[in-house]
Amino acid sequence: MFFRAWQRLSSVVLGLALAPAAMADWGLNMPQGITEVSQSIFELHMLIFWICVWIGVVVFGVMFYSIFKHRKSKGAVASKFHESLGLELLWTAVPTVILIAMAVPATSVLIQMYDTTNSDVDIKITGHQWKWQYDYLGEDVGFFSNLTTTDDEIYNRTEKGENYLEEVDNHVVVPTGKKVRFLITSNDVIHAWWVPEIAVKKDAIPGYINESWAMIPEGQEGIYRGKCAELCGVQHGFMPIVLEAVTADEYQVWLDDQRAGKVAEAAAAQGDFSYDELMVEGAAVYARSCAGCHGTEGQGMGSIFPALAGSPMALNDMAGHIDIVINGKPGSAMQSFSAQLTDVEIAAVITFERNAWGNDTGETVTPKMIIDAKK
Amino acid sequence: MTTATASHDDHGPAKGIMRWVLTTNHKDIGSMYLWFSFIMLLTGGVMALIVRAELFQPGMQLIRPEFYNQMTTMHGLIMVFGAIMPAFVGLANWMVPLMIGAPDMALPRMNNWSFWILPFAFGMLLFTLFTEAGAPNFGWTFYAPLSTTYAPSSVTYFIFGVHMMGISSIMGAINIIVTILNLRAPGMTLMKMPLFVWTWFITAYLLVAVMPVLAGVVTMMLMDIHFGTAFLTRQVVVILYCSNTCSGSLVTLKCI
Repeated sequence: MFFRAWQRLSSVVLGLALAPAAMADWGLNMPQGITEVSQSIFELHMLIFWICVWIGVVVFGVMFYSIFKHRKSKGAVASKFHESLGLELLWTAVPTVILIAMAVPATSVLIQMYDTTNSDVDIKITGHQWKWQYDYLGEDVGFFSNLTTTDDEIYNRTEKGENYLEEVDNHVVVPTGKKVRFLITSNDVIHAWWVPEIAVKKDAIPGYINESWAMIPEGQEGIYRGKCAELCGVQHGFMPIVLEAVTADEYQVWLDDQRAGKVAEAAAAQGDFSYDELMVEGAAVYARSCAGCHGTEGQGMGSIFPALAGSPMALNDMAGHIDIVINGKPGSAMQSFSAQLTDVEIAAVITFERNAWGNDTGETVTPKMIIDAKK
Repeated sequence: MTTATASHDDHGPAKGIMRWVLTTNHKDIGSMYLWFSFIMLLTGGVMALIVRAELFQPGMQLIRPEFYNQMTTMHGLIMVFGAIMPAFVGLANWMVPLMIGAPDMALPRMNNWSFWILPFAFGMLLFTLFTEAGAPNFGWTFYAPLSTTYAPSSVTYFIFGVHMMGISSIMGAINIIVTILNLRAPGMTLMKMPLFVWTWFITAYLLVAVMPVLAGVVTMMLMDIHFGTAFLTRQVVVILYCSNTCSGSLVTLKCI
């Protein structure tokens, strides 16, 4: 463990000394990204960076030269003049010119970034504690995107996967060659939707809709990952973004699949489920959607997130239990799961919560009961 | 004829702990500010070490996420309000009277008070670490509603702590302004004042302007949490943004 860290450290130090060509691989600089806007931002960044380097070299160069050349041991005597109008005008004018020279390209990039007009696809992105919700406006497609990294990986009980903390169940799929507009907002606290490769980083603020856009060029199909970039609570580090860019044709097929999937889900909810089936499904749903706050063993967390094991509601109040899962509890972190879980999943997880960790009520909650409760 | 021997010379400071509790000497108070700042630097520094130790490798190592967020939040608050700001006020207390030829600060008892509020403010903030709900965990920028609706109950102590720090800061700033304007030695015109005194003169005005805004914002948080108002929910969240930007720019200015 420690050996590996030392190895990495020493390779970094060696690399700094020996191989400047390998710089690109370490990701010290910001990524160039894959969109036109991200390239513009990168070029702007490099332009400003080199201006700063140039100013630094000139200023420190003059300073060190003066200190060295006019040192006391060589008999230097300070000149006695004060107030030089020419010099003062010069040191006011030069920074002004530099600032304006930097503001012009910066403004043009900003204008490019903020031009969200004429989009082909509109995706509404809603931040939740601690997952992202995506709604494809006008397409009747929408879903939640949950972290799939397991607790075992997070708590070091197994090897970490390749995309540790950067993997989700439902990718947000976008077509290449189309202008995609993101409408970013939040359901609870402030989050920020950030995907470096497409140069989008926008705060998701409750009550506001922030806009941004990206056009991924054709030929750049692939998976691009991002994270929440505004502290949003305990699991701020566990709500990644996985953006999947596909061709326009594949995108249409994907949309149809999503719609078909929804119809199938609704049909499934009318079917009959055994207690065992619901318990298996419920355990999976609980681990994904509930354990983050209520604990893997239903033990709760701190004084804010109540325990479910032995809770009076889970033991005695079935109607209240169904209601709180469907509608949430206003003014608390308990959100409404009506839209993010299917009726089958809600039924399964409530069944699970009423029978796991010593809550042995023996009761079964069926999807049909959920459908009735929603009416 | 007998000679009456009446003693009118200095009796010296009080003895023991009261020397420090009751002192109105600008150097004593300046030293206390600097020692307080140093202790807070170590406290906040240990929290930063805990955070970095946890981040040494991926995955959960030493602490849980709840405590991690408490550490980052408390580190930020303590470093800004407990280390940087008192260090500057301590230097001002020591140096400003000496630089402008004043016998002491203009309002010595207020000076004593503005220091002694600080240990209580930070005592209140730090003791939340030992409460069941845990310390504030919403980041030192305390964006609502994470810092209101979704905050642990210790947020109330945080609010009163910030109020007290604000009172201390404002009193310190007023003292510096009054000292600079009224207690300069003859011949020490404003244009002859050392640059350090000038920077503090301007910073003190900024503090007087900004601290009430910060106090107003945390008061709004308090009202939202306990009295059912809606200052910072949904539509009005932006106010907190603005005031945070204010205090942020203030801190930046001070660092410069």
